[in-house]
Amino acid sequence: MSDVVLQSIVKRYDAMTAVDHVSLTIGEGELVALLGPSGCGKTTTLRMVGGFIPVTEGRILVGGRDLTHLPPNKRNMGFGFQNYALFPHMSVAENVAFGLEMRKLPKAEIGAKVKTALDRVKLSHLAERLPKQLSGGQQQRVALARALVIEPDVLLLDEPLSNLDAQLRHEMKTEIRTLQQQLGITTIFVTHDQDEALSVADRVVLMRAGKIEQQGSPDDLFGRPASRFAAEFMGVTNLLPGELAGVGRFRLASGEEVRVHPVGVGGDLSLALRPERLALDADEPDHNALPAVVDLATYRGLVIDYRVATASGLVLIARRPSPAVGGPAPLKPGQPVRVSWHPDAGTLVPA
Amino acid sequence: MTSSASSGPATSGATAPVATASPPAPRGREGRRLAPAYGLTAPATIFVLLALIGPLALMFRYSLNRFVPGQMMVEALTLDNYARFFADSFYQEVLGTTLWISALSTLLCLVAGFPVAYFLVRQASDKWKGRLLLLIVLPLLMGNAVRTAAWMVILGDKGLFNAVIGAIGISPVKLMYTPTAVVIGLVSVLLPFMIVTLQSVIEGIDANLESAAQSLGASHLTVLRRVVLPLALPGILAGTMLCFILSMNAYATPVLIGGPSFHMMAPTVYQQVAKAMNWPFGAALAFVLMAVTLVLTTTANVLVQRRYRRWSE
Repeated sequence: MSDVVLQSIVKRYDAMTAVDHVSLTIGEGELVALLGPSGCGKTTTLRMVGGFIPVTEGRILVGGRDLTHLPPNKRNMGFGFQNYALFPHMSVAENVAFGLEMRKLPKAEIGAKVKTALDRVKLSHLAERLPKQLSGGQQQRVALARALVIEPDVLLLDEPLSNLDAQLRHEMKTEIRTLQQQLGITTIFVTHDQDEALSVADRVVLMRAGKIEQQGSPDDLFGRPASRFAAEFMGVTNLLPGELAGVGRFRLASGEEVRVHPVGVGGDLSLALRPERLALDADEPDHNALPAVVDLATYRGLVIDYRVATASGLVLIARRPSPAVGGPAPLKPGQPVRVSWHPDAGTLVPA
Repeated sequence: MTSSASSGPATSGATAPVATASPPAPRGREGRRLAPAYGLTAPATIFVLLALIGPLALMFRYSLNRFVPGQMMVEALTLDNYARFFADSFYQEVLGTTLWISALSTLLCLVAGFPVAYFLVRQASDKWKGRLLLLIVLPLLMGNAVRTAAWMVILGDKGLFNAVIGAIGISPVKLMYTPTAVVIGLVSVLLPFMIVTLQSVIEGIDANLESAAQSLGASHLTVLRRVVLPLALPGILAGTMLCFILSMNAYATPVLIGGPSFHMMAPTVYQQVAKAMNWPFGAALAFVLMAVTLVLTTTANVLVQRRYRRWSE
């Protein structure tokens, strides 16, 4: 078990910079999620840590040891691939045994370790099967067992859940987290899904165009996005451009002036408001309130999303529990409402 | 030809229900639509029967005839011609030469072709892959005899090769009319077939499998041995069979580069048929060559399939 330190690593391809001076420390036993849209450099970063892509600049240290220029087979890292990359010509047991054979362990020890590893992912009964005879979830578990059986210093997972259906994804998410905590293994988990990152990671690192945009605990990122990009990526649907109009006051581009949590920044800003924080019928004196009309109602099971528009042309999304889970009666398009929120509910981010 | 013939019935089969479902369609339309589709397979079928099986049957019949000098072929039903092959060590040596030259050429093609195919798939960019592949098959666009003539110029006693090594002070080597020269000539013809076959199979191997093996501690050589080679086995088999069959039946290369005292099977068959006018014995030699090639390639196929079947089905 070791910590991983990325010291200002860079990956350049001809004219394109895929990873641009990324510095990151992943503590011993910590699970860090690299989150971001495709092309943000998260997978390139992971593959550089794994040794599959040479680093242009910077250093990678694991447990204080510099392995920037070591080949992958000398790094003692477990790598989980998006498509699992199980050897199709080897049985489940042979797949898991592969890494141990490379370490030239005695046969009996390999057998015992393979059994333990397969027990851990509850697949001992399928040891003699070939990968193609397994379901996607089972293949993923074999891939995990294969990566973990070598007792790697670091576990690297590249979009491990994206090929699974919703139900299995949830199961595997829990399983990966449980295994990771049981073994206390330092883990880097790459994903483009904010929900996955938030629910699995100790710390989320949001990447954009080869750089780290923001990092912090899942609650930091979800609750206090530091930029418009971060807010959008974390699922904030209301981003209202405008400018400060005095302490604690913000003038929206559409003309309305609203009260906000006082901040020390200036310039072009956007007010980030989660749809869950908007009320449509409450009437609290210290809240911001704007008269509006329901434009569109989208039923989404647990919640209903309402698109509402003010006379000035401001469009907001508000989310309320649906009647199915005890929410208020649905509103009809055309119905007048008062959109209101507490001044502290919004976050000002650079536009 | 084959593809149009096989897609014919499938296409009409798919459209037929539509035709029967629409009320105005006259009765029996389905049958009338299918008939031309089956009809389309007829030319290919007839061609195969006439052009491949026909001559083979005829040749086999000839091989049972008797050769009488002055009368040429006399109708008979005898195995004398086959007996002569097994009785005369000269012809067995010819077969032996053909076998080892073919085996060696095929092996060299595999050893030289695999790295090239692997490089093409894993290292070359898409833009360069097309260009390099074209470059690799370019020699095939030239006639076999012309290409072989070029080798004669290069390998001759006063040829390009000896001129070059002479210039750096090495005494000339006798290459022309040696088995070595024949192998060089054959490899140069066969290599493109091997590379193109291997390339298409390696293309199908997920690069992540190699990364996975590496991350588990395997060196490049071990990745090759444990992952790439087993998965490329079908391609290795196909390329090897292709090259082996082609070199077993090689004609121009052994004749032009091997010279008058070097004998392989195909030229010997020609010599019997066209020079000695001994059609029955020539036919028997041809069948021995075909049988040996068939047995060897089928055996290789069965042996490899047995290992491969477990996970390929």
